[in-house]
Amino acid sequence: MTGKQLTAVSAIILSGMCVLPLGLGIYPQHVLITSLFYVMMAASWNLLAGYTGQVSFGHAAMAGIGAYTSGILAAKAGINPWVGVCLGTVLAAILGLGLGSLCLKMGGIYLSLTTLAFSQILHIVIVNEYDVTRGTMGLQVPGLMGEYSKLHYYYIMLAAATLILVILYRMIHSNLGMNFRAVQNDETAAAAVGVKVLQMRVLAFTVASAMAGFAGAIYGHYLLLITPEIPSLDLQFYVLAMTVIGGMGSFIGPVIGAFTLNILAEKIRDYGEYHVLVYGLVALVMARFAPNGLIGIWHRLRPAKPR
Amino acid sequence: MALVEGRNISKSFGGIQALSEVDFAVDAGSIVGLIGPNGAGKTTLFNTVAGAFKPTSGQVVFDGVDITGLPATAVCRMGMARTFQVCRPFGAMSCLENVMVAAINRRPGEPRAAIERLAREKLNFVGIPELEGVEARHLNVIQKKRLELARALATEPKLLLLDEVMGGLNTQEIQQAVAFIRSLRDELGLTVLWIEHVMGAVMQAAERIIVLDQGRVLMAGTPQEVVTDERVIQAYLGE
Repeated sequence: MTGKQLTAVSAIILSGMCVLPLGLGIYPQHVLITSLFYVMMAASWNLLAGYTGQVSFGHAAMAGIGAYTSGILAAKAGINPWVGVCLGTVLAAILGLGLGSLCLKMGGIYLSLTTLAFSQILHIVIVNEYDVTRGTMGLQVPGLMGEYSKLHYYYIMLAAATLILVILYRMIHSNLGMNFRAVQNDETAAAAVGVKVLQMRVLAFTVASAMAGFAGAIYGHYLLLITPEIPSLDLQFYVLAMTVIGGMGSFIGPVIGAFTLNILAEKIRDYGEYHVLVYGLVALVMARFAPNGLIGIWHRLRPAKPR
Repeated sequence: MALVEGRNISKSFGGIQALSEVDFAVDAGSIVGLIGPNGAGKTTLFNTVAGAFKPTSGQVVFDGVDITGLPATAVCRMGMARTFQVCRPFGAMSCLENVMVAAINRRPGEPRAAIERLAREKLNFVGIPELEGVEARHLNVIQKKRLELARALATEPKLLLLDEVMGGLNTQEIQQAVAFIRSLRDELGLTVLWIEHVMGAVMQAAERIIVLDQGRVLMAGTPQEVVTDERVIQAYLGE
């Protein structure tokens, strides 16, 4: 796609997204809002796992950092939620920088385990610091605006997701993105042609964490009640599944995955506890027949034109 | 003047002494062959010089600067490029992108179009311009070696380290490759340090040869001196 075509297609999709909720009831609007939250989560996790090869299990934890930072500041100190969102983003970025640096010399399963530990520690702290976080009861937080309106939240989420996607798109298509992919493909070779491997890895970690913190903070102010469900492994693996099923390492894959899986989740709610089984089956079938995700199927049906 | 120099380099892995007290020098503008039986420490020496390994002791001096222990990225940015014995292309990236990665890090501010032009030039130079859109994992071994060379050249080095580029070539192709390596020096002005098992090729293209055996420099000299040396013959053929 050329630049002009891309702009046109994006504009059409975006206008479609703007009118989409107008005729819908409150419940479908809620599903769309959560889908947009997952779009931000999956797309930013993809920057880590899909573009620099760092399979972090601490991404949901970063969303939790954002949500709880902003939520606690607003609920306990009366700070404006928008300021809180910014502070939550910054704190997630700082922790991402720290966690990324800690994992610098690690690859593969070691990095995953370290980030998993981080995620669990955070979870335990939140559950147990009852006075500050209200534990599993959940912390009531103020909304982003005076009057509660699903439609307004939808547009806020849409704007936030668009912002994240634009930043990610520009990053991936710049020199940075090319360096990221080189690091993912082969760190030794990347270093040998002058790529600052360590710097790239930490940068991806910091940016992705900031984005998760941002998404989590806004999401918390939408839910009005934040619980340890946000920084949980359930949410982490949900985001992972969305990215993998959508198509890891492709720009649009996680976006498609987030919508598909989140809407599917609503459909299979009727199965109660068995919905996990349905997920497992979907993941299994995808892994076997479409290892490159939904986007991979699309590319297979429509072979790339020679450039 | 020596462009790169090793002073008393030793490298051990656990209890295994891979290099002991290696001294060598490569003059600017020369083609130097590095030979030796399997396990002599040739690739270890490369890795130590190019910054992949830190030597246990000793010094590496490149272009008048002590680069001992500097990471590979920094060494590359100073003007040393390498290829790998077992090719390491960026498999999921196209050949053009493979070369572009090297070019963008050499010339960070340059516009994309100029980078692409530069990368195409390098693919052309190594003779695989038609593969620019192909993902590197689909290439055969010889094409991968060419791609690695193009990628190394795109870092615009002063010194090129080649690790066994002739393996798998037939006699005619070896002749072309020898001419190609000479052209690296004669046309691009590069200094070449080159590990090779194909003895005929090294003897033709290199002006000086360093022989490693069991982690030590057995001797260094002209090809003529090397082939007639008793110790070299013994190292290769045994008693």
